[in-house]
Amino acid sequence: MNKLFRPAPLALTIAAALTVGCANTPWSSEKSAPATNASVVNHYADLAHANYEDALITARALDEATDRLIANPTEANLAAAKEAWLAARVPYQQTEVFRFGNAIVDDWEGQLNAWPLDEGLIDYVKADGYQHELGNAGATANLIASNSINVGGETLDVSSLSAGLLADLNEVGGSEANVATGYHAVEFLLWGQDLHGFESGAGERPVTDYARGADCTNGNCERRGEFLDSVTDLLVSDLEWMVAQWAPDASDNYRAQLTTADANQGIQKMLFGMGSLSLGELAGERMKVALEANSYEDEHDCFSDNTHNSHYYNGQGIENVYSGTYRRVDGSLVTGPSLSDLVQQSSPELDARLNNQLDASMEALGLIKARAESSENPMAFDTMIAPGNAEGTRIVNGAIMALVAQTGSIEQAARDLGIEALSPDDAGHSF
Amino acid sequence: MQRITRLLCTSILAVLPPLAWASDANSQARHQWQEGIATGYQSLTIQTDELDESARSYCENPAKDSRARLEGAWLDAFLAWQRVRFVDFGPIENNNRSWQFQFWPDSKNLIARKAAYLIRNDEPITPQVIRQSGVAVQGFPMMEYLLFDQQFNGGDNSLSAARTCELLTNVARHVKNNSDKLMAGWQAFRPHYLKTDQYRDITIRAGMATLEILEERRLAQPMGLRGNGKRNPYITDAWRSGKTLLTVEATVDGLRQFFLPGLATLLEAKGESDLAERIRTQFGEVQQNFPGAHLPMATALTEEGQFRVLQSLYVDISQLTTLVNDQAAVVLSVVRGFNSSDGD
Repeated sequence: MNKLFRPAPLALTIAAALTVGCANTPWSSEKSAPATNASVVNHYADLAHANYEDALITARALDEATDRLIANPTEANLAAAKEAWLAARVPYQQTEVFRFGNAIVDDWEGQLNAWPLDEGLIDYVKADGYQHELGNAGATANLIASNSINVGGETLDVSSLSAGLLADLNEVGGSEANVATGYHAVEFLLWGQDLHGFESGAGERPVTDYARGADCTNGNCERRGEFLDSVTDLLVSDLEWMVAQWAPDASDNYRAQLTTADANQGIQKMLFGMGSLSLGELAGERMKVALEANSYEDEHDCFSDNTHNSHYYNGQGIENVYSGTYRRVDGSLVTGPSLSDLVQQSSPELDARLNNQLDASMEALGLIKARAESSENPMAFDTMIAPGNAEGTRIVNGAIMALVAQTGSIEQAARDLGIEALSPDDAGHSF
Repeated sequence: MQRITRLLCTSILAVLPPLAWASDANSQARHQWQEGIATGYQSLTIQTDELDESARSYCENPAKDSRARLEGAWLDAFLAWQRVRFVDFGPIENNNRSWQFQFWPDSKNLIARKAAYLIRNDEPITPQVIRQSGVAVQGFPMMEYLLFDQQFNGGDNSLSAARTCELLTNVARHVKNNSDKLMAGWQAFRPHYLKTDQYRDITIRAGMATLEILEERRLAQPMGLRGNGKRNPYITDAWRSGKTLLTVEATVDGLRQFFLPGLATLLEAKGESDLAERIRTQFGEVQQNFPGAHLPMATALTEEGQFRVLQSLYVDISQLTTLVNDQAAVVLSVVRGFNSSDGD
């Protein structure tokens, strides 16, 4: 969410013409033609398109499920809406690898996946268990209970909770934690605050928070339903926009730009996305900070306790980009020319190592997932990071170390493909 | 001393073939860095020892004098840390020691929450409890919170309440022990550091990353020059004590004392004495902002006249960053990789 800090020197720049794909490179695959930079970038756009389509398909299902919940607030409908949310996270988290490097995604994603958010902006919170961002004037504004709010001296009319208004409210008062939209806002509206701290258990919002008349709990049930309706509609329309950006056969979308530009730039974006998600974001922000500070506020899916899956599918997204493979939500497989093919042409040993490391990190993330979903004595991510939890620490550290190791090889792959991380003044290719 | 070394280098340069010289300069630079960092770590152990003692002495006998000594000791030790904060390799990497010294930024006010939890609890606060309580508890910001947080100081648990003293003295001891371990670790690490060529680039990258963080996260971001344009003092170091800009000065001073000499050796060996001199001059330009810039960040961000002081500091630091991270790095062929502050 925080897009403020993107250290400029990290921008990858193209150092030299690529040397891979030369005529004398050995190539003994059954594929019709060896992978080239251009074919790999083109297939990358295919992957992104398929992945965002799946995110859209599952978001539509979520939208329908929440509509049913609002119309008929039963336990079964709440459970179904939660299931739909969990299913929608599977493809979306895999798309996060497209975020770093593709500015069009990074500029857009805050409205969909910003975290951590100060949920007191949206709805009631229990003051005792609520710690908001320091200096956030909107942290307890409670949009659902108010017709107008005052944030940092500015009064805003919020009597109608339309999708447009909610989008406009993002980062209201200049605080990044003021997030009224996206997956985590929906998550909060379905699960509610997780008041269990390090203990097992997620948020426990009663379904009667959406009940009509005298059955309504915690007040403003109708407005809560209106909020949930708008925010899920917005999620769908945002994803529609992104799918269109990656659609083939358009001349004026992002994919057209990317695939007609110098293919080296596309390769650079792919590697930059993999490395940034792997190290700084997933290993660093999402795991190491939470673990070392024992901070469940820094947990990614803190209302639903679904963090293990968010991490797992982030890792899967990284592997997808390297292998050029994506398993769609309908079970079909998207495959094509990949970075792995390119690295294999110039350095089979490096390719084998990176593939092994990607497998190892998926195994380590898989262990977090398995432990959290275990039928016997499950341990969710927020319990793993509790003070003194030696087993949890070992499991989370295992994943961090695996991601760090693979990032080293991603850097090497970049060098191997003739892409260097240099200072930003060098070429004007920085993003 | 530095000057003699440089003279000596110049005369050796005249007789040695370029390759032999380059390897010699690399080794010399590592010696300079090794010794410089040892000096900085040594000073950290001395200051944290004094902090540990003054915390104990204050809690045994809380009075105006002992409080003033304690606050002064906290600041001196924290500034000693700021001078070596750029080192992100070697024994500082063990057990996330760097985060143990300083958990930052703390946008969710975890430190306040952890303090409240530990103080409210009935269990005795022991060294073991501190070891298990995570990085938000273990370092300078926790002590700063106990000493300087306005809200906390207005409440029942303010110092020298018994449990708060228990927490303070145990954290002070933890920091002192960590400093001792760091110093011992650095000496043990010496042979490996000196014989391993990769530490040339690793050390340069450490300086580059520090300048980048200084420019972007410790100045531009709180000044509202990035992102949403909102000025925000809470994301700076040491906002509670109002010492943010002293920490900035100390970090720059640490780079000048412990990082610059080795960097200059390498640049001069490449025939880039001019660039080395420009970097040296720019360090001087940054330092000239002080003591004028010794003001609390909250004041600097709210009063326009003071904001200009901050802007001038920011411009000087940006120029320094450009010289080191762009020009020197390119001359020395130092390639930046992904780093851990690279994500969100």
